[in-house]
Amino acid sequence: MNAVENDKNVQPLLEVENLVKTYFRRTLTGSRENVRALDGVSFSIFPGSTLAIVGASGSGKSTLAFCLACLEKPTSGAIRFEEREILQFDEKELRGVRRKIQLIFQDPANSFNPRWQVLEILTEPLALQGNLSREEIRLRAHALLEQVGLAAQMDGKLPLELSGGQRQRLAIARALIIEPKMLILDEALSALDCSVQAQIANLLVELQRSRGLTCLFITHDMAMAAHLADEIAVMSKGRIVEQGHPDKILKQPQAGVTRELLAAVPRLDSAPAQEPES
Amino acid sequence: MRGRRAISNWVLLLLALHAIVILAGFFAPYDPAEQDRKSPYLPPMQIHFVDAQRHFHARPFVYPLRLREGAFDQYEENTARHLPLRFFVQGARYQLLGLVPIRMHLFGAENERVYLLGSDSYGRDQLSRFLYGGQVSLFAGLLGAGMTLLLGSSVGAIAGYYGGWRDDLLMRLAELFLALPWLYLLFALRAFLPLAVNPLQAFFLIIAVLGAVGWARPARLVRGVVMSAKERDFVRAARGFGATGGYLLRRHILPQTLSVLFTQVAILVPQFVLAEMTLSFLGLGVPDPVPSWGNLLSSLQQYSVLVSYWWMYLPALIMVPFFLGYLGLGSRLQEQGEPYKIGK
Amino acid sequence: MRYFLRRLVHAVFLLVGVSVLAFVFTVLAPGNYFDEMRLNPQIAPETIDALRTQYEVNRPLPIRYAHWVGSVLRGDMGFSFAYNSPVAPLLLVRARNTLLLTVTAMLLSWGLALPVGIWSAVHQGRMSDRLLSWGTAALMVIPDLALALGFLILAVKSGWFPTGGMVSLHFEDLSFLGRVRDLLLHMALPTAALVLSVLPLLVRHVRAAVSEVLDAPFLLAAEGHGIPPRTLLYRYALPAAANPLISLFGFSIGTLLSGSLLVEVVMSWPGLGPFLLEAILARDLYVVIGGVLLSTFFLVGGNFLADLLLYWADPRIRTETSS
Repeated sequence: MNAVENDKNVQPLLEVENLVKTYFRRTLTGSRENVRALDGVSFSIFPGSTLAIVGASGSGKSTLAFCLACLEKPTSGAIRFEEREILQFDEKELRGVRRKIQLIFQDPANSFNPRWQVLEILTEPLALQGNLSREEIRLRAHALLEQVGLAAQMDGKLPLELSGGQRQRLAIARALIIEPKMLILDEALSALDCSVQAQIANLLVELQRSRGLTCLFITHDMAMAAHLADEIAVMSKGRIVEQGHPDKILKQPQAGVTRELLAAVPRLDSAPAQEPES
Repeated sequence: MRGRRAISNWVLLLLALHAIVILAGFFAPYDPAEQDRKSPYLPPMQIHFVDAQRHFHARPFVYPLRLREGAFDQYEENTARHLPLRFFVQGARYQLLGLVPIRMHLFGAENERVYLLGSDSYGRDQLSRFLYGGQVSLFAGLLGAGMTLLLGSSVGAIAGYYGGWRDDLLMRLAELFLALPWLYLLFALRAFLPLAVNPLQAFFLIIAVLGAVGWARPARLVRGVVMSAKERDFVRAARGFGATGGYLLRRHILPQTLSVLFTQVAILVPQFVLAEMTLSFLGLGVPDPVPSWGNLLSSLQQYSVLVSYWWMYLPALIMVPFFLGYLGLGSRLQEQGEPYKIGK
Repeated sequence: MRYFLRRLVHAVFLLVGVSVLAFVFTVLAPGNYFDEMRLNPQIAPETIDALRTQYEVNRPLPIRYAHWVGSVLRGDMGFSFAYNSPVAPLLLVRARNTLLLTVTAMLLSWGLALPVGIWSAVHQGRMSDRLLSWGTAALMVIPDLALALGFLILAVKSGWFPTGGMVSLHFEDLSFLGRVRDLLLHMALPTAALVLSVLPLLVRHVRAAVSEVLDAPFLLAAEGHGIPPRTLLYRYALPAAANPLISLFGFSIGTLLSGSLLVEVVMSWPGLGPFLLEAILARDLYVVIGGVLLSTFFLVGGNFLADLLLYWADPRIRTETSS
């Protein structure tokens, strides 16, 4: 974990202020209901650090991830990236920002076009940028494959030929190939087997250290969050209910939700898990 | 994969059948408009290998037909005259593929006309009319299906990708078109267009009308595929790298619709061929003398023809292999679904 | 109740929409309709001019549409030039005949398709299922036109069935039973042609819907509980298949209506089909629109019934609307 000096001169890379996102849902019979996915979320992330957002399903975590990655427009609120208010941007400027914040998805099976080969998938972001030669693109692709621990010969394979862990490595490689400033991981480890989770988590730590990446790590797993993050924010029903250093959150949880999430962590010691104080 | 081999078998069958129709000039012994007023309603001539004297001939032959004693429309074989079939003969001039003028036909006989499927009231060879008629009917079906799919997938892509009011408007419109029984809609559209048109105009008119009638169902299907593809993570990821809407549609979303479109082709083409046949049969489609499978059957609307000249019905049966090909292909394509789906 | 109202509104909306479409066609059709009518010797020039004023060719579209809808709702569907009489009574008689044919064919084809399709789904993969599959395929590849013509040839050659019409000339003289027999004889072949044209498609779809349900996990779980197969089929599987089957029902109404058009013309059954055809050839404008509207009315009505059936059959829809 990288602890960033709370240097007065360092500005947050990302600042979120009072983000609200509501959308309409259509039921089978056609009636509409209003869903408030984000209900006034605020936080900041400093460059080079990792913030973990922990919450149960339905707490609005994924909506937050999509809004931050500029894939969806929030209903109201402000997002400042590199000190610029990005919600005012037009589509063209937004595209530029999107390249700097990369998202890694939960379901490795769905993250790739099933008909494309690994090399195509990996190089798509560079091809879209359009300013490198084919040779340069290939070199970068192979370099990244190596960095994430995938063999170079895999570049001709289809996604269905890879294991879950290999797919997430590919997803990380693809996200990093355009050298973003920030990485958002939306439950990226949840779909993997436990042992594989640990491997990928360590890979992430390593990459973050070597590249100075800023990470936003979204999960429901408090233990994983504590292991990876510099700071934890607990989210419930579209709001942040508690925020702080991992040690503090673990030892002195304030909100009921936090305690529930802690209790949900499976423990291997002989003593039974502590009941949350009601 | 076994599935894929089965598909290619059907495709090969269809290609072969369509090739015969495209090269109708070669496979048909005569020009379809060529009349022989002295031989109206001749029954089909049978191909023999063994003659009346029980001699075997390696080369197949037919007997010309002559009127039976005392009858005016009953024919019998004239076993005295032996008419061998020759292959790769020179016959009437035609244009292969509309380009190359050529005179060679697959088979024919010297001096006399051979009617393998009989003749109609003007003495025109039904086999030749069937083959040329296939060009009109099959291609009306194919082009009509192409137009429908083009229209339908454009509408479906816009509705599915943009959503919102565009989606609402377009899907309501589609519902309206689906609320009409399609043949009634087809007739109504045809009704309001001029009746007396020349064959070429009729051909394009039919294609346009078919295209306008059938777009709603493919549009809904394509919309469904586009909507679900839009939500898939790899599309979101591509947006994350800064892809534009056009790029997403072109490279990720629309390719997902291909399997649906192929299946639709296999279903729509026979339906549209049938529609063209129905229109032409009833006099609302391609008019004489240009043959189409529909107007080939229209003489059957006369009671006398129905009763006495059974071979005029044969074209209805010879079309069956074509429909079989499309049906087989369609079933196989539906079964195949998406071969690249990553299993959970 | 709310569901019923909503579907009703939807059906009405469809009818209105179709009427607008029909109206727009007549107005925007290329090849001035009235000019073509001039070519028709049956229609006097004075009639055409009177029509032009009556149909307010120079008034704005929405007004013309409103007047037209008003008269349709009052039962006046326009005037037929060919028959020199109001359209509505002519159409209604023909519509009754078409309904007779279509409804009978619907009952017969579903009556056959359901058991055959279900049986086929239950015995999936066995030789009998495969034979059936080939049988339906063989039937499907025969064009409807060929089927109808084939039946006509059968009637002509065998003499067992009348070759056209709905009733014989001496229908009035027959006893009640005689009349029934006469009608049935006339109906037999057209109905058979219609049923055969639609049956293979229905059987295939029924089989597909039922076999999809049979593969569902919940059914496997029920089987694991030791529920006997017959109960499984009737109390578990079929109700679950009701939803797609009822949608198929709605779809089949459209197919049957279109099919009936062709069968009626070929086999001379005095329904909407031949009437519509004559009208098109005679450029009898209002008959054509009226015929199309009426057939749409039947289709929309049939689908509305299917929606109601769905409400009754699928508990999910009931709970959604009550919540």
